[in-house]
Amino acid sequence: MSFVVPIGPQHPALEEPEHFRIEVKGEEIVDVDIRLGYVHRGIEEALSKRTYMHGLFLAQRVCGICPVSHSLTFLRAVEEVAGIECPDRARYIRTIGAELERIHSHLLFAGIAAHEIGFTTLFMLFWRDRELVLDLREMLWGNRIHSSETTIGGVRWDIKPNQVPKVLRNLAALEKEVKHYIDVVGSDRTILARCANIGVLTKQMARELCAVGPTARASGVNWDIRRDDPYAAYDEVPFKVITERDGDVLAKILVRLREVLESIRIIRHALDAMPGGPLRTEFKGRVQEGEATGRVEANRGELLYYIFSKGGEKPERVRIRTPTYANIPTVKPMLVGGTIAEVPIVLASIDPCFACTDRVTVVDRNTGKSKVVTKAELRRLNK
Amino acid sequence: MEVLSFLLAYFVFPGLLFASVFGLLFMGIDRKVTAHMQHRIGPPVWQEFIDFGKLLGKEDITPAAAQGVVFTLAPLIAMGAAITVMLLLPINSAQPALTSAADLIVIIYLLNIPAICVMLGGYSSASPFGAVGASRYVVQLFSYELIFIVTVLTAAVKVGSLSIGDIITYQAHNGWLAFKLPLATAAIVVAAQAKLLRVPFDIPEAESEIVHGPFTEYSGPKLGLMRLAYAIELFAVAGLITALFFGGPVAHTIAGVQIPGVVSFLIKTFAIVLFTTNIRNIAARLRIDQAMKFFWTIIALIAIVNLIIVVL
Repeated sequence: MSFVVPIGPQHPALEEPEHFRIEVKGEEIVDVDIRLGYVHRGIEEALSKRTYMHGLFLAQRVCGICPVSHSLTFLRAVEEVAGIECPDRARYIRTIGAELERIHSHLLFAGIAAHEIGFTTLFMLFWRDRELVLDLREMLWGNRIHSSETTIGGVRWDIKPNQVPKVLRNLAALEKEVKHYIDVVGSDRTILARCANIGVLTKQMARELCAVGPTARASGVNWDIRRDDPYAAYDEVPFKVITERDGDVLAKILVRLREVLESIRIIRHALDAMPGGPLRTEFKGRVQEGEATGRVEANRGELLYYIFSKGGEKPERVRIRTPTYANIPTVKPMLVGGTIAEVPIVLASIDPCFACTDRVTVVDRNTGKSKVVTKAELRRLNK
Repeated sequence: MEVLSFLLAYFVFPGLLFASVFGLLFMGIDRKVTAHMQHRIGPPVWQEFIDFGKLLGKEDITPAAAQGVVFTLAPLIAMGAAITVMLLLPINSAQPALTSAADLIVIIYLLNIPAICVMLGGYSSASPFGAVGASRYVVQLFSYELIFIVTVLTAAVKVGSLSIGDIITYQAHNGWLAFKLPLATAAIVVAAQAKLLRVPFDIPEAESEIVHGPFTEYSGPKLGLMRLAYAIELFAVAGLITALFFGGPVAHTIAGVQIPGVVSFLIKTFAIVLFTTNIRNIAARLRIDQAMKFFWTIIALIAIVNLIIVVL
């Protein structure tokens, strides 16, 4: 006999509302049904009703953790349509902003992963050290997370020479701690018992399901937009693309922690190699006709914006594809065959951000009820 | 007179009042120590008292789908059993407030009643999380209980008596059993960790997996009573380990001042609670099958080897 255990829409393992219907036999999971659409916010529609400058601020608010990635992707698309070149110094500052964000996002993930396996002490320590980076962001741009340092055609604030020593100091402290955490995660018996060989995503599965970002790299897929389709200053900064082979939860945690070390190296190099010069190119507010696709390696994977312009101050259509949306299908093969106890850590291992993911919800206007659309219905609607 | 002294023992010392004050205090200190280990400030040590008072003042809710009688009685019986254990433990001297011919067996039975009540509460709450938590608790009970019984038995065999008073007297003359039975002591401390649902064995109430397990539907005064029962159980289990392996209450005279045995008893139980707090902060939660395997292989081996050594 099998019965359904609901995980969500309200569940302590999920930071945001999303519904997973887990069909179990005893403790073993036999099937998973994923229902999205609980936090649809209509941001794409709102973006097409605003000027590009206002849209930039809205795009940053798609995600509460990766505003820099969203702004960089939006900018990449807009700057391509508008034909604006970003000055060199601004490109380096954008890189530093993106990497500082990657560090705090990965540490946030590591903390949540520790929490999901009941290791509260490690969770608190990860988040304590995350403060080192948040302090830097506050010092450089005035805000801990929604820093809004970018603008169309450049950046809004410079990094001053007197700020650099503190950045280097905090990064050195963080590097020491993260190296220690990599040791702990790779050797602690209870962590290994909960994470090693759990929620395995094979390399083949990762490719077939089009997994992106650290989720794919933990399965051995060597793919990183920063290297393969560089933006900002990534083509001038040397860095390694981190991959792990096992594809289990442990690999997903280790990939992210090792990426933090790599990000620290990128920031150091960028601070060192940063050229002088102007911070922004003037943007007149109007954009010619055209369309463009921008993508960046956000903290959770490949983030994609498509912008279609009919000319003027506002885009005609903006389409967003967030990394969590690409990674959601991988959840099913990772969960099936496991036990209920593994659901939270496996779900957390793709570092999901559901509010960014939800793009559409179908609601009957007469009854007010939302419903699930089948693939066949969707095909019919698309004709 | 007999009745009065029993009522006094049950409600004041070492029963309800004494046990709940120190149980809640230990839990408060446990939270504070945890907070400091995690680089937080943490709540004040009297936070548990505040929480308990607040919960008592809340609306009393029984879910419509729940088996109301079982759901309501579970916390009351759990608390009653935990308090009765306190009466059977030697708190101030080798003589407990209540004695029977074989009080160790009674204590083992009574210490299982809170666990069974939690399971019944979980099953009767008509919540899938309660049911999953309760079924995990059953498995966990079968994992640690054997070790618990074997280690208690080891101490009883060593002393040659099932009376806890005799065990205290034996230790007063021959030194702590912890030095004579180190393996059994280690095993019972690990088993207590599971009995008290502490990390890495907080599997039945794993908050990130099954909300709060059997406690999910509990709220208001019932939750308050459950927490109080847990606090007293914490105190009672630590007290049992103290009595069996660490000499129990010993009266001292320091610089001419008489210090009653209850002081040394409290210090020892507190040390044991602190030890479990430490373990719970340096580990991740195991899965239920891993916990069962752990107990039935390594820990059972340790406990049984020590029993065999003692019997031979």
